[in-house]
Amino acid sequence: MKKLIASLLVLVLVFALCAPAAFADEPEGKVFNIYAWNEEFKGFFEKYYTVPEGVTVNWVIVPSDNGAYQDALDAALLNQADAKDDDKVDMFLAEADYILKYVDSDFTQDIQALGVNDFSNAYKYTVQAATDANGVVKGVSFQCCPSALIYRRSIAKDVLGTDDPAEVQAALSDWDKFNAVAADAKAKGYYMTASFAETFRPFSNNCTMPWVDADNNLQMDPQIEAWMAQTDEFIKNGYTLTAGVWDDEKNVQMFADGKTMCFFGPAWYFNFCMGNAQDPEKGCSGDWAICEGPAAHFWGGTWLLAPAGTDNPSMLADVMNTFINNEDVCTKLVANEAQFSNNMAVNAKFAADPSYGSAFLGGQNDVAVFSEMTDNIVWQNHTIYDQLLNEGLQNSLQEYYRGSVDQNTAMENFYLYVNEKYPTIVTP
Amino acid sequence: MNEKELRRNQKGVSYAKWGYLFILPFFLAYFVFTFAPQVLTIYNSFFENYREGLKQVGPNFVGFGNYVKLFTPDKSGTINILKYAGNTLILWLLGAVPQILIALLLAIFFTSYRLNIKGQQFFKTVIYMPNLIMASAFSMLFFTLFSNVGPVNQLIQAWGWSDVPIDFFAYKGTVRGLISLMNFLMWFGNTTILLMAGIMGIDQDLFEAANLDGASSVQTFFRITLPLLMPILVYTIITAMIGGLQMFDVPQVLTKGKGMPDRTSMTLVMYLNNYLGGSKNYGMSGAISVIIFIITGILSLVVFRTLNKKD
Repeated sequence: MKKLIASLLVLVLVFALCAPAAFADEPEGKVFNIYAWNEEFKGFFEKYYTVPEGVTVNWVIVPSDNGAYQDALDAALLNQADAKDDDKVDMFLAEADYILKYVDSDFTQDIQALGVNDFSNAYKYTVQAATDANGVVKGVSFQCCPSALIYRRSIAKDVLGTDDPAEVQAALSDWDKFNAVAADAKAKGYYMTASFAETFRPFSNNCTMPWVDADNNLQMDPQIEAWMAQTDEFIKNGYTLTAGVWDDEKNVQMFADGKTMCFFGPAWYFNFCMGNAQDPEKGCSGDWAICEGPAAHFWGGTWLLAPAGTDNPSMLADVMNTFINNEDVCTKLVANEAQFSNNMAVNAKFAADPSYGSAFLGGQNDVAVFSEMTDNIVWQNHTIYDQLLNEGLQNSLQEYYRGSVDQNTAMENFYLYVNEKYPTIVTP
Repeated sequence: MNEKELRRNQKGVSYAKWGYLFILPFFLAYFVFTFAPQVLTIYNSFFENYREGLKQVGPNFVGFGNYVKLFTPDKSGTINILKYAGNTLILWLLGAVPQILIALLLAIFFTSYRLNIKGQQFFKTVIYMPNLIMASAFSMLFFTLFSNVGPVNQLIQAWGWSDVPIDFFAYKGTVRGLISLMNFLMWFGNTTILLMAGIMGIDQDLFEAANLDGASSVQTFFRITLPLLMPILVYTIITAMIGGLQMFDVPQVLTKGKGMPDRTSMTLVMYLNNYLGGSKNYGMSGAISVIIFIITGILSLVVFRTLNKKD
C-alpha cells in the first residue's frame, strides 16, 4: 500500500514538473509574486515591462538588514511546494554576496529550459555568477556593476592639480599611489574616503581564496589583511571616518560642503546612494567624475532568479529576456535611469556616442569608462557565507577603528559572530 | 417530583461548574499559546537543529550539548552567556531603580489630598505618552539624535563644548545610559499609574488619623503608605523584572543588533536572536530561552521572598 502511494506521489510530481513544458499553452497563474529587498527594480519593472493581461504582479519587499530578506525568502522557497499557485514565488532578486546560496540549490531552475537562451550580449561574469556547479544557468542580472572610483572634481583639482579622469587615474592607479595621495589630501584639509569600509570591496573582490577552505576553516585572505592594514593607517592618520559605508555620517560628506575626495561605487550608486550630491540646494551635481581606481572590482548587482515550481514560467522567461535582450528597454535603462545595462551592444552604442554624457559627472561619458572596466572583472572565490562574513567583519572592526576595543578583541568578536551564524565554520 | 430529584435539591446547587466553564477559555489559550510552546522550546533545546544556507541540519538529539556549549568559556575565559546575563541585569537596574523611585514619588504627589495637584489628568496622560510610541521607533529616534552627525552633536559643537563630535556609541557608559534612559522614559508613566491605583486603594481614614496624630509626611509614607502598598509594589517590581530580563527591542534597534561596544549592551534575548537570524538555530536559541526562564524564575522568587517577609 505504502509503495503504491509513494509511486503515485512520484507520478504526480513528475507530471507536475513536466506539465509547464508539455502544455506551454496552458493558462498560467494569475498572480506573479516577486521577492525583493528594495524598490529599485520595482521602479524599472513598472516603467518598462508590460504585464500580460489578467496577471497581477505582487511585490513582497523585505529590507535586507540583518539578513531579514533572506529569512523571508527562504521561508517562502521552503514552502514553495505546498503553497497555493497564487502564493508561489515566481521570481526573486538576489545580490552577488549571497546569490550562490540560491544558485547552488534545488530551489532554482534552469532558465535555458524556460526559453532564456541568448547571453551573447550579457557580460560574462554576470552569467557565471548565476551558473551552478554543473553549468546550469539559473538567472540573469539586469545590470552590470563594475565599480569605479568616484571623485569630487574640485577637490581633485586642489589636491592633484587636475580633474581630468585620465590624469586622476594615473595618479591613483595602484594602492601605493592611493595612500600617498591620501596624505596629500589630508595636508590640504580633506578626507581621502568617508568610511573605514570604503575600500573594502576593491580589496575583497580580488581575494585569491574563498572565505572558508575545503575543511570549512575560516581563512583571512591577504587582500582582506591588506585592507585592514590600509584602514588602520587611514584611521590613525585621519584620512577617513569611522562611519560605515551606509551611514549618514558618510553620506553628508557628499554635500557641496563635504570634504571627501573619493567614493567607490558602480552605476547604481549615483541614484541610489548619492542623493545628497544631487540635492538641488546643498548638493554638488556636476562636480563629480569617475575613473577605474587602484583595483578593478564590482559591487553588488541584482540578479533575477527563477525559482523552481513557479506557475508563471513563460512570463518569467519573458521578464528575463526583456531586461537583458530588449534593446529598447536596455537603452532606456541607460538613458533614463543612469544604469549600466547588462547588454554590451546597447552600452557600446552609448560609449561610442560623443553627444552622450552624464550631467551629474560634469558631462563625462560614464558608460565608456564602465565598458572598459568590465574586461577586468572576475567572478571567483565566492561562498554562500559571503554576505554575513563581509558584514560581520566590518561591524566588528568598526568598534576597533572607533577606539572602543583593541584589534584582537574585535577579531575575537568577529569569530563569536561567525560561530553564532554558522556553527559549521571553524574559526581560529 | 421524584425521589432522586428531591435528593439532589437537598444537596444545594453547585455553581462551581460555571466557574470552571468561564475560566476554560483562558486555560485553553494559555495551554495552546504559552504552555505548549514552552514545553516545545525545552524539547528543542536538546537537539542540534539549524539551517546552513538552504540546507537543514538536524534535528539530531544531543542531550545537554547545547547547554554545555553555552557554558563553555571562550578563548579569553569569558562565559559569554553570563556576560550577557550581566549586561541585561545592569541595563534593567539602571532603568528600573530610578523608574520605580520616581514613579513612587509621583504617585504620592498625585494622590496626596494635602497637595491636591491641579490638572492631574493632563500630567498623567503626558507621562504615559512615551509608552504609546513603538519601542523600535523610539530607538531609531534616539539613534538619529545621538549619531555623530545628529542634532545632539550639532548642539554640542555649536555651544563649543567639543570640537569633534562625541561618539556616543563607542562607550559602554553612554550606550548603556541611553538604553536605560529610554526604558525609564517609556515605563515610568505606566508604573506611576499602577502605584497610584495601589495608594488610592489604601483607606483614607488611616492618612487622616495619622495627620491628626501629628505624623510627618515621611512618617506617613514609611509607616502607612509603604507597608500597605507592598503587594502592589512587589507585583510592579516582579513584572518590571520579567520585562527587563526579556529586554530586546530598544538595545537591538539602537545598536543595530551589534550590542556595541564590545558586546557590552548585548542582552540575553539579543544573543538568542543572533542564533535565530540567518541560521534558524532552534537548538541553541531554545537552550538560551530555557536559561532565561530559569534565571527569571529564581530572581522572581528572591524578590518575592525578600520583599514579602512577614514582620
